Amino acid sequence: MQAIIDAANAVFKPVIGLGAPSIMLIVLTLLALLFRVKFTRALEGGIRLAIALTAIGDIINLLTSAYQKPLSDFVKSTGIHLSITDVGWAPLGTITWGSPYTLFFLLVMIILNVVMLVLNKTNTLDVDIFDIWHISFTALMAMYFGANLFVATILILYIGVLKIINSDLMKPTFNDLLDAPDENPMTTTHLNYMMNPIIMVFDKLFDKLFPWLDKYDFDSAELNKKIGFWGSHFAIGVYLGIFIGLLARQDVKTILTLSFTGGTCLELFSLIGSWFIAAVEPLSQGISDFATKRFKGRTFNIGLDWPFIAGRAEVWAAANVLAPIMLIEALVLPGNHIMPLGSIIAMGVTPALLVVTRGKIIRMIIIGAIEMPIFLWAGTLSAPFITGVAKTVGAFPAGVSSGTQIAEATKEGPIEQFLAYLVGKASQGEITFILYAALALIAYCLIFWWYAKQMKKRNAEYAAAKENN
Amino acid sequence: MIKILAACGAGVNSSHQIKDALEKEMSNRGYNVKCDAVMVKDINEDMINRYDIFTPIAKTDLGFTPSIPVIDAGPILYRISAMAAPVYDKVEETIKEKGLK
Repeated sequence: MQAIIDAANAVFKPVIGLGAPSIMLIVLTLLALLFRVKFTRALEGGIRLAIALTAIGDIINLLTSAYQKPLSDFVKSTGIHLSITDVGWAPLGTITWGSPYTLFFLLVMIILNVVMLVLNKTNTLDVDIFDIWHISFTALMAMYFGANLFVATILILYIGVLKIINSDLMKPTFNDLLDAPDENPMTTTHLNYMMNPIIMVFDKLFDKLFPWLDKYDFDSAELNKKIGFWGSHFAIGVYLGIFIGLLARQDVKTILTLSFTGGTCLELFSLIGSWFIAAVEPLSQGISDFATKRFKGRTFNIGLDWPFIAGRAEVWAAANVLAPIMLIEALVLPGNHIMPLGSIIAMGVTPALLVVTRGKIIRMIIIGAIEMPIFLWAGTLSAPFITGVAKTVGAFPAGVSSGTQIAEATKEGPIEQFLAYLVGKASQGEITFILYAALALIAYCLIFWWYAKQMKKRNAEYAAAKENN
Repeated sequence: MIKILAACGAGVNSSHQIKDALEKEMSNRGYNVKCDAVMVKDINEDMINRYDIFTPIAKTDLGFTPSIPVIDAGPILYRISAMAAPVYDKVEETIKEKGLK
């Protein structure tokens, strides 16, 4: 036995010593080869991931170094403890893909999808490999708070089953929103739509109490046109830099530097996000080819990333209106420590609002404002974990003070983050947390079951309307 | 050079898949194509007028009617070549019709 351990150490220790980008280069290349991707394409993906991981670390360094002191001055001058930097989704995605566990959770989710297809429990083939990081994030967070790999895997299987079922439930609504025929195969297994059940509760309340509000819906496309470049990444970085600089009582030069650094980082986060997506592309194609070959002849719904509904103007109008609302909520919300920055345009929030309300913009904004604290609290809760993973994969600057943390203000799957926290804590054997985790998991399932019933009713109405036409 | 504009939610994932696929396939068919990927919400009339073809993922409400041909490129994302082929054919047909170079 000792000989095996020694041999494993002799092989793996030098590799581990090379650092996370090099490890991921090797692991991603090997995994792509396993799915019969050509060697050069597999290696290309591996190198791209290593570069994306290195670059994202450098940009986090730039942002946190520039904002570290002003945010601390902001706390002193206002008494508001918003000391966690919101870096948006791209660094979180890249950091999560920097963990070798992500590839394990990817395999688990592929197997789950295949099993559900074989058993006819779903009709969705998920080809959105890149967004598997949301599920991996949930599992890694559970592990950070105390769960072992087995418990974390069970947790994501539990969430994964409901997520895939949800993609089937939403399919007719997507056709309606896109004005697409039944043959359109587009749906999504994206984690952001697991907020649908909670949004549905508020939507039903609206139906009962405030249906008259719908008549105040406005032209979303017109609003977006008026907002123009003020909603773009660099503009948000600039005016949030000014906002933080002013409240932190910095001098003019520092305020301008903060704003330009903010704009630069937000632009670069998106750019580097695209590198890392390109890195996973050969593997994604390999897995899709593998799956479609094995289910030849069967017609699927195809699970894509969420933005195929980004053409609906309400997604952006609601995000634009919710941005200042989120900022105000962040300032006054007890227990929140995130200063919205990188994810202030809440792309992780509005698509689910669109699906449940079917584009009723006033409802989207009001329900979005009501649910925003859940995202801010989840972001605050996950900050030590995200900062910890960033340090593990070498994407966190060494020079930044130990108290500095990063997170995302509108990370998709806030409820799942709370579940990960509770399951993680429960795994340590504390009876209170075991009770809380059990209750939370049951509530999660029950509300989804109720939501599924509502969606089935909605889908029956769509079918009946088609028959009548 | 033929300029194509692809768009999606964050301008980094789906639109980049469309961009890469269109550039590769159109190059194989002998066309010099340059495709840019952007966020849907950043598109305005000035921007779209700088391109020859617009290839969104699905029906897109920009708040104005694009003056250039619009081709639904969503099927490229299904990762099944038989489903993507009609999109490439439509792009090629448009290039020929408009005499784009």
